[in-house]
Amino acid sequence: MENKQTSILILDDEPIVSRRLTPSLEKKGYEVEAFTTSKEALECIEERQFDIVITDLKMEGVDGMQFLTRVKEKYPDTEVIVITGFATMATAKESFNKGVFDFLAKPFKLGEIAEVIARAEAKRK
Amino acid sequence: MKLNDQIRKFFGLKKKETIPFKILFAEFKKSLDLNNQILDLIADANDKLSGDYIFDEQYIQSSCRRLDDLVRQLIVTINHLTEQKYVELYTSFHRIEEELEALLKGRALGRVKDFILPYNAVTRDLTDSVGGKNAHIGEIGAVLDLRIPDGFAITTAAFSFFLEENNIRETILEIRRQWHQSEIAVDDASRQIQKVIMEAEVPKALRDDILNAASHVSKQYQDTIPCFAVRSSAIGEDEISSFAGQYLSCLNIPLQEIPQAYKEVLASLFSPEAMEYRLMMDFRPHEIMMAVACQMMVPAKASGVLYTYDPVRPEEESMIVNSAWGLGEPIVAGEVATDNFVLERRPPHEVREIQIVRKSETMVLRGCGGIGIDKVGEERRMESSLTKQQLRELAEIGTQLEKYFKRPQDIEFAIDPQDKVIVLQSRQLRLQQKRAPRACDLIGLGGKYPVLVRGKGIAAMEGIATGPAWVFTEGRDLSTFPMGGILVARHATPQLARVINQAAGFITDVGSTTGHLATVAREFRVPALFNTENGTELIADGQEITLDTECLTIYEGIVQELQYYAIQEEPIEEMYEYRLLRRVLKKIEPLNLTDPTADNFTPEGCLTYHDLTRFIHEKAVETIIDLNFYHAHHRDSQAGKLLWDFPLDLILIDVGGGIEGSHEQGIQPEQIRSIPMQALLKGMSYPGMWDMTPAGVDFSSFMSSLTRTSSVRSTSPEDVGRNLAVVSAEYTNINFRLGYHFTVIDAFVSENILDNHIYFRFSGGVTETTRRSRRTRLLAKILSHYDFLCEMHGDIVVARLKRTDQGEMMQRLFLLGLLVGFTRQLDVKMVSEEIIDTFFNEIKTIMEKEHGK
Repeated sequence: MENKQTSILILDDEPIVSRRLTPSLEKKGYEVEAFTTSKEALECIEERQFDIVITDLKMEGVDGMQFLTRVKEKYPDTEVIVITGFATMATAKESFNKGVFDFLAKPFKLGEIAEVIARAEAKRK
Repeated sequence: MKLNDQIRKFFGLKKKETIPFKILFAEFKKSLDLNNQILDLIADANDKLSGDYIFDEQYIQSSCRRLDDLVRQLIVTINHLTEQKYVELYTSFHRIEEELEALLKGRALGRVKDFILPYNAVTRDLTDSVGGKNAHIGEIGAVLDLRIPDGFAITTAAFSFFLEENNIRETILEIRRQWHQSEIAVDDASRQIQKVIMEAEVPKALRDDILNAASHVSKQYQDTIPCFAVRSSAIGEDEISSFAGQYLSCLNIPLQEIPQAYKEVLASLFSPEAMEYRLMMDFRPHEIMMAVACQMMVPAKASGVLYTYDPVRPEEESMIVNSAWGLGEPIVAGEVATDNFVLERRPPHEVREIQIVRKSETMVLRGCGGIGIDKVGEERRMESSLTKQQLRELAEIGTQLEKYFKRPQDIEFAIDPQDKVIVLQSRQLRLQQKRAPRACDLIGLGGKYPVLVRGKGIAAMEGIATGPAWVFTEGRDLSTFPMGGILVARHATPQLARVINQAAGFITDVGSTTGHLATVAREFRVPALFNTENGTELIADGQEITLDTECLTIYEGIVQELQYYAIQEEPIEEMYEYRLLRRVLKKIEPLNLTDPTADNFTPEGCLTYHDLTRFIHEKAVETIIDLNFYHAHHRDSQAGKLLWDFPLDLILIDVGGGIEGSHEQGIQPEQIRSIPMQALLKGMSYPGMWDMTPAGVDFSSFMSSLTRTSSVRSTSPEDVGRNLAVVSAEYTNINFRLGYHFTVIDAFVSENILDNHIYFRFSGGVTETTRRSRRTRLLAKILSHYDFLCEMHGDIVVARLKRTDQGEMMQRLFLLGLLVGFTRQLDVKMVSEEIIDTFFNEIKTIMEKEHGK
């Protein structure tokens, strides 16, 4: 139990996603930072690394793919989990090629994402 | 014959030509497929309300679009099938579709066009139109049934109208711009804007609306001259407490002077403090809006403020009340000394501390149109301004408001001349920030607090509840249920919903997330944990417990760590998406057409998409039966009624080689040549599944004990509904309606493995309830055991099996036959979790006996 807290960054332009996820993940003991614009999220990752990044792909005026590409460039060992409402095979394939850890279609259950996070955490250790 | 003629016409056939049954049947199957897709979508959407899911607006939009589309197709299909017999369905459909569309445009919908909204029409969802103060007070009166002042809201639409009619919006923005660019000082800007507003006229249309609303409200008080309090209810005011109190309240205003007071309140939106505050908070011009509350004055004997927590020391578990004689204004403003009471948060809310101060002055109404300060008589100066009874009532109201708004509350109240408590305002109370509990705090909870239940049950509504357990036993009077108690019961029966306004939580041994109680728990956002199996045995009546439905855990005692978490966490119901889905589902999910013989079973009677779907399904089956059984027989099909002993009218339509011999006098089971149908019938007529005559000892005695309360025999076949099977030598499509269940089986069995398939679908009608979860899980357990691929949507079970050889397929159809008779009985009682295994084992025994597996 002496391990450092696992840090998670959430990016989704629909505020409800981080508003629901953040308290739930904090309750589970994670350190969480949430953003609704990729601009702010990009600024944030330039400054520090997160263990896990959860991002939407398709957002208004924002490209989640660019964001996750930058994350993987800068921190190859950060695990990226993609959440999206418009899952196509092409986008799924592209994101896996970029080294995404897993892909979750919206809507999803809190339990489902918690499970994916736990697996990503296990992989990092 | 008329119907047949119509259909002939539709399909472009000449008078003597019969429509090939194949065409009709294809349409019929299309309607079934649409029906199934719709019910699956509805069940999935309903599931999202449990709090278990993260969904966004996009999901709601796309689900609604998809439903619109499917329901429209379904109506087209039934009208094909019946040659436009049910075109009225389009009218009901368009009405619902439009209502949904309006809801989906939601954010704009919040901004109503009316200038005035009476309090009984105001809810939280209208916050954008009526401001926080109005929205809260309206909701408190309407939903919680607490006493509030009579009154109405003057909306932001009225504010816009006022600015536009007077053509002063630009003027105001220009002054604001000058101030933002430091050309003028804030005091100067404020004075200029307020002058512009005070010199403007309240437009006649608005003025008339206000005066009409005011005289309507005051009609009930004929013996007194109607006087009003006109208060600000700005957008964003109640959410930010530091903003409160910056605006004006005009007290004791005679009816005719309300428009003038209205202007004064609007002008206070531009006080220097408010302007500075908005600059700091980066308010945009469109966010600077003022709604106004217009309330009948309460000639208060005493007034005060209740905090449901001590904001500085929440861990003390106390409520705080400050009160004094007369009107509340000087109390809120902190201008007079007040009596101070500290109460226990827990019922019965014992008084911990009392401090009575010397109250020498009091603010009172001076007839209509004035207020004044009176001296308090010597004998009352040191008297408590509240009675013990009133304190307790206040504490109960506080608990109720806190429970409802899921936040600690800061409540302003008045005691009226009849000594009744009136709630004037309730808003969120900010507690001194506590460190948010982290896993390290929470992980150890199990050790710190004894765990009564862990990892059992299903969350019908997520959340945390603390309070005394109240164990409901047969015959116990629900009206004695205590405010803030947690109801513990064996079954999640709908009658328990009666205590929804008092209950902090629900725990049941048995119950399903699609039941009525679950629906109500979600609507009122009361945490509910069902299917704990033996919660009633583990929890003692009166015992204090903490319920955490997210973690499926019940602790003994009050777990403070969780309690603080519960009040700090953002409740999902405060999220727009959650409210939107709930509103949207109200137009989609409820089933009003439950009885095909009732007067409302008409196209006009369809109020929701579920109703439309239900109506069309009934009519589709009816049409196929009418066309093939009661009316002309097709050359390419033959129909007859199955002659057997079971309480189920089954019309068989043979489309080729499915039935041998004559159909005229009905069809004997021996005449059936259809391979899948034979296997199904063998299962359906298995001793002990349909009839109640004793067969396999344990199973049947068990079953008969279960079914005693509702005899299958007493139900006439008409009540059970018309059932249809379309068969050929290798094919069977069955549609059963048994009570509220619908069962569809579609099977093709031949020598060719690749062609073989079985589709089984069981549903119970989404709003009809009780013990569904167990029933669903039992079915899924059995079906999966026998290699079916199972899906569950709410209480709908869909099972598929493909590409299996004929012998194996026949065994599976025998199994489905068993389940058809059996599922009817399942409604009676799924009394405990063990029953799933009992039934499962019994079915296995039969299968082993018959097929050696």
